Amino acid sequence: MNDLLTIAPLLSVGLTAVAVLLSDAITPNRKYAPISVALAGLGVTAWILLQQSGGVATALNGAYVGGPFVAYLGLLGAAIVAITLLISPDHLFARGYPSAEFAATLLFALCGTILLAAAADLVTLFIALELMVIPGYLLAGFAKRDPLSTEGAVKYFLLGSFSSAILLFGIVLLWGATGTASLTEIAISLTLLTTGVPPAVAVALALITTGSAFKIAAVPFHYWTPDAYQGSPTPITGYLSVGPKIGAFVLLIKLFLIALLPLAEVWIPVMVILAAATMTLGNLVALTQGNVKRMLAYSSIAHTGYLMVGIVAAGAGEASGIAGILFYGAAYALMNLGAFAFLAVIQGRPGATVQLSDLAGLGRKHPQIALLAALFLLSLTGIPPTAGFFAKAYVILSALQAGGLAAILAIVAVLNAAIAAFYYLRVIVYLFMRDPAETDVQVATSPLLRAGLLIAAAGTILLGLLPGGLIEAVVQALAS
Amino acid sequence: MSDLTQFIGSLPILSMITLLPLVGALGIALIPSSRPSTIRVAALVISFVTFILSLLMLPGIREFSSEFAFSEQIPWIPNFGITYHLGVDGLSGALVVLTTLLSWICILASFGPIQSRVKEYFISFLILETGMLGVFLSLDLFLFYIFWEIVLVPMYLIIGIWGGADRIYATIKFVLYTLVGSLLMLVAILATAFSHQVATGSWDGAFDLLALRGTISDPTLQALAFAAFALAFAIKVPMFPFHTWLPDAHVQAPTAGSVILAGVLLKLGGYGFIRFAIPLFPQAAQDFAPLMIVLSVIAIIYGAIVAIVQTDLKKLIAYSSVSHMGFVTLGIFSFNQQGVDGAILQMLNHGLITSGLFLLVGIGYERTHDREIAKMGGWASRTPVYAALFGFFLFASVGLPGLSGFAGEFLVLLGAFLVNPMVAGAATLVMILAAVYLLWLYQRVFTGELSPFLKGLGAKLTDVTPIEIATLAPLAAMIVAFGVLPALLTSAFAPSVAQFLMYAAGGVAP
Repeated sequence: MNDLLTIAPLLSVGLTAVAVLLSDAITPNRKYAPISVALAGLGVTAWILLQQSGGVATALNGAYVGGPFVAYLGLLGAAIVAITLLISPDHLFARGYPSAEFAATLLFALCGTILLAAAADLVTLFIALELMVIPGYLLAGFAKRDPLSTEGAVKYFLLGSFSSAILLFGIVLLWGATGTASLTEIAISLTLLTTGVPPAVAVALALITTGSAFKIAAVPFHYWTPDAYQGSPTPITGYLSVGPKIGAFVLLIKLFLIALLPLAEVWIPVMVILAAATMTLGNLVALTQGNVKRMLAYSSIAHTGYLMVGIVAAGAGEASGIAGILFYGAAYALMNLGAFAFLAVIQGRPGATVQLSDLAGLGRKHPQIALLAALFLLSLTGIPPTAGFFAKAYVILSALQAGGLAAILAIVAVLNAAIAAFYYLRVIVYLFMRDPAETDVQVATSPLLRAGLLIAAAGTILLGLLPGGLIEAVVQALAS
Repeated sequence: MSDLTQFIGSLPILSMITLLPLVGALGIALIPSSRPSTIRVAALVISFVTFILSLLMLPGIREFSSEFAFSEQIPWIPNFGITYHLGVDGLSGALVVLTTLLSWICILASFGPIQSRVKEYFISFLILETGMLGVFLSLDLFLFYIFWEIVLVPMYLIIGIWGGADRIYATIKFVLYTLVGSLLMLVAILATAFSHQVATGSWDGAFDLLALRGTISDPTLQALAFAAFALAFAIKVPMFPFHTWLPDAHVQAPTAGSVILAGVLLKLGGYGFIRFAIPLFPQAAQDFAPLMIVLSVIAIIYGAIVAIVQTDLKKLIAYSSVSHMGFVTLGIFSFNQQGVDGAILQMLNHGLITSGLFLLVGIGYERTHDREIAKMGGWASRTPVYAALFGFFLFASVGLPGLSGFAGEFLVLLGAFLVNPMVAGAATLVMILAAVYLLWLYQRVFTGELSPFLKGLGAKLTDVTPIEIATLAPLAAMIVAFGVLPALLTSAFAPSVAQFLMYAAGGVAP
């Protein structure tokens, strides 16, 4: 019974998913019914998670550890799913895609995120990861009659499975070499190593690093991202660029900052190079993109690099690095979902792609939408007082505290922020400083979509002006 | 203390001054775009009330015994000891009044020229005003940085939307230059705060200027952090060789944008050196001083020489700004009373004089739609009042004794002479060069036969209107007042200068 209480968030999300499918079966013609059921279920889940944020409780023979950390990530995941559910229907219905399957798939992915945050051993961790990413493959191919979407989904699926296999191989080797699947016990056994790193562990480390780098889309393992992101229906791209990415960083926290922490000296240099390459390449390629969606795809690669700064800082012994990642995750989720929601809004017509030149003069024709877009872009740039600014400052501060390589990485990160400013601000140039384009961009907003945009915008401003509350939550989440 | 001062002291006057334009901008957002004249008047009223508030604040500064008057400090991000900390002294008080004065002047001067997207323009301008005032009043490094960056966005829009033909290139260049400097400054701010946390074991006061001054002893941190701060401020001033964004931004910006850029934004850099970079990292500042002095002298000479050959009126004044702002950094890094007094005077005077010149160039442009010096000539015969005003501001810019430009430059040269006579000698020569290019400009544009181009404009070449005089008169009056009695100003910021010199010498608070 206690076990059931502990895993209640997981059950709640799973049951919601089932309820969503049932609601569709009962009232097949009411398109918004599944969305409403899903939002209600998320509300219940959020309430349960808040109840659990007080103390740590284990379940399933120690495989599941609930508590403030799970509560924080569960709430963040629930918020991401909720905003996605708000911003998607317009776009999906206009193209004739079903809503119940969509909502249920998102909820199953959320189960994976929660389980990932709670996992205490390698097996649960891997199952959780797959539970989170497999719905992602489905979502990427949601526009099944669109060849681009299918291509993106196939690439995503093949490289995703491939990287899962590499990761799994590494996990198994690590398990074999240390004789335990528990993350904390692996760390203990690695601490006891006296005669250097045994070959099996070294290979495991290499495989785990590669597999994880695929999952977070770090350069040079990022090739699937632009295609998968560009092909997917826009609101889904928004979800894919934040949900699975934050989940993958939870995986990194578990693997590198718990199990493999004793080997930090070995993996930190690798991680530093990966991070520097990821942010630099992501930004440089984003500079050259004329398609706004693809530009945002590369920008999300660059943000992966900034998030990795937190991993490096935490690996160097500065716990605030994890706090930085958690804060950054929340800020990034809000501003990136907002940016993609904006794209979805101006892609009113089915089949429309958005080039930079299509945005020309939008600030005159649709000032409110353009203003919101500017807010999200400024936040992605890292201009105060927005969430994106404080998130960057937090991660950079943790890297400076860690010193050494991490501090150098911090400098690389801020110089990258200046490069990134160029392409984010270029969008603002088109929105406000150029004359309206010939082709008329259709703007479609329903009340749901407006609510989603406004929540994202309010969060982006609030976290920038008053970050204190979330910092407190992040610190609480890590206290256990 | 008078009753009024006491009453003002009981209010959060600094927050009121800083946030009033922002609140006003939000209010203007609610006025429909179809009523541009209401929007214009509302913006003017808001900025004028801000100006009055800042004047009411002035008497209080000298009556408070502590270093900073009207302090407000509220915890903001308690986990890192970041506070909303405002305070004002003679130095920042003078710059605040300069900002509020130029803001309403700019808004008034925009009534005619800005005809498209009026609402967005005045909203941007008022947000810009909040940002600038926040920079001058912040005593918390984090807060300071936030306002520093807030300034960037509206200026970006003002140049990019209402600017000239090449506005987009100019505005992106402006933002990228500024961002590179400021992002490195952010790293330096965070590193400084962290070192304080390590030294004291607590985040309390880690971002507070007053708590940090005189406590940073690690020489590596001092050198690196000073370099980062100095880069951000040097780009803003701008010092040679970081000045190349300035002529582009000035030429492309609308008139009011140029005025506020020259009048206030450039001062943010000089202020940053005096308030933050040098008191926080005095040892590094002393080490860097020779380099800064050399760069200042190069800027003074280079700006003047390049100004001589300019063919565009606005560009000429932009380069003269580079030269004049060189005096500011030269004075600051002389590290003596005369130099620093002179630098601050020069900042204020440059703010008044160059703003006037940019306003006048804008007034001319409204009539001719051209700024090519070669096309002008004999303008004085058609518009005597305009020519007289232009002449007045040019003479002020040359540094004619009796007008305010003289005192600042003279004091800076005196301060520089005490440090290195060679440097002072080189800079003095430039005062002659300045006379050459500014008076030659007057001769080419205003004297002689009316040029065919101006003749072709016929009746369109009208003299200044009452509104235009209203924008210039306050500046002219202050230029005369501070020219005759510079001590009005120097005595107001004498305590600030004394504090600055103490911290610059590596001293600690008594």
